[in-house]
Amino acid sequence: MSHTGHETNPASGPDHEFQTHVFDGKFQLQRCEDCGIAIFMPRVICPTCGSFALEWHPASGLGTIYSQATLRPRAKPGEQPRPPHSIVLVDLDEGPRMMSHLPSVAPEDIHIGMRVRARIEGTLSKHLITFRPEESKS
Amino acid sequence: MTTTSSLRGKSAIVGVGTAGLGEAPGFNAMDIQALAVRAALDEAGLSLKDVDGLFCTNMSHTFPAISTIEYLGLNPRWIDGTNTGGSSFVAYALSATMALEAGLCDVALICYGATMRSGSGRMVPAAEQPIYELPHRPRYPMTAYALAATRHMAQFGTTRKQLATVAVAARDWAQLNPDAFERDPLTIEDVLASRMVMEPLSLRDCCLLTDGAGAVVMTRAERARDLAQKPTYFLGGGVASYNRAISEMPDLTSTAAKDSGKRAFAMAGLSQGDIDILQLYDAFTINVILFLEDLGFCAKGEGGAFVENGRIAPNGSLPVNTNGGGLSFCHPGMYGVFTLIEATRQLRGTADIRQVEKAETVLCHGNGITLSHQATAIFGNENTL
Repeated sequence: MSHTGHETNPASGPDHEFQTHVFDGKFQLQRCEDCGIAIFMPRVICPTCGSFALEWHPASGLGTIYSQATLRPRAKPGEQPRPPHSIVLVDLDEGPRMMSHLPSVAPEDIHIGMRVRARIEGTLSKHLITFRPEESKS
Repeated sequence: MTTTSSLRGKSAIVGVGTAGLGEAPGFNAMDIQALAVRAALDEAGLSLKDVDGLFCTNMSHTFPAISTIEYLGLNPRWIDGTNTGGSSFVAYALSATMALEAGLCDVALICYGATMRSGSGRMVPAAEQPIYELPHRPRYPMTAYALAATRHMAQFGTTRKQLATVAVAARDWAQLNPDAFERDPLTIEDVLASRMVMEPLSLRDCCLLTDGAGAVVMTRAERARDLAQKPTYFLGGGVASYNRAISEMPDLTSTAAKDSGKRAFAMAGLSQGDIDILQLYDAFTINVILFLEDLGFCAKGEGGAFVENGRIAPNGSLPVNTNGGGLSFCHPGMYGVFTLIEATRQLRGTADIRQVEKAETVLCHGNGITLSHQATAIFGNENTL
């Protein structure tokens, strides 16, 4: 979309933009240039002040586990039991919260308040922001 | 009563009906919905021809209200198909009152039907899902409520045993309700030992998945007094919502029920101490704890301790979900309409062996999607007008 009558629209939608960054190996967040808030999920309008002035900025990738839920799959006849799978909510240092998971980290090793760092996991067709435990600096 | 609302006491529930509760093999959603609608109209002394306002949504049809109109042969003057999830039907009590009071309709029909159990054996997923959550393999709606429960437990020390207490109270009520789907005895130990599904929620922390249909007929209060049943008066209602996806919810331990409840209490001119019975949408055990807190029946974080020692169970000081709730009575995907039906039966004094004595007020609370939309409605008998 570009010019349609009286409307001036961005060159591409925010989801497309976000996914393109992720595909390029970059985790970027929108920031409202008017009120300063960082935004996820991607939008065309600031949910805090209604501004259209949203720009993409590199995310620090750092965050803290806010909550966790662990799927314990039921064993099915003739199948190997599937391992438990923890879904987490991560509070990004920039402010927004996102759902994610920590690949190959046991549910028991994940806890609320734990510091995590984003990584981009991907195959050619599918890229995803996941997290891994952040090494303690102290 | 101190309220500035012109809607308080202006409408009443005059008929309720259910059909296909539990399992209804061979029937579809529209079939059992029609059976529930006839039952509700019959007991009110009204007919399908009298219905000129329709309030309805569901999970199986793209255009639920329109399909309902076609199936029932209705010709309504006013149609509200707002879909806020399972809370929709509690919200309709407010919007139906507005439509009745504005003269947009004279007989409002609120209805729902689903054959989740015999139809597909699972929740029918919504067409649109949160795209930034899906790749991480959540299971809706369980994951969302498990995330809320984990957070509540970490922040306030709420225990699995306290969650289990909610499931046991629901079962104790269900044992008094011949229409309830699960009526076998259930102990806290049973709940704790049941299969872990979405930690920290076990199988018995989760609602049933059944078939079922429910219908509620409302008219203006003055007409209600001339109909067959003792009127159940609408005293106040409120809705609130901030987000769709659980990852967009600002604080997982604090729901929009805070606002919907405040609005309903303000309209009713009542406070928590005036409420005799609660019907809270219990899709999961954590819901009851969250809603008791957010609706102001106990302080934030104290819901776990509040439900202990039988307080919300039969013979407890604050009866909650007197039909057995979504946990033990029935849960056909959207439960909201059943809170209105049980409120009505309790306020009429026709709830048989589960009847709460001297019940004059009932608060119904509906929850939509994944803690995404909240609707509260307060009803009373003639003494509360």
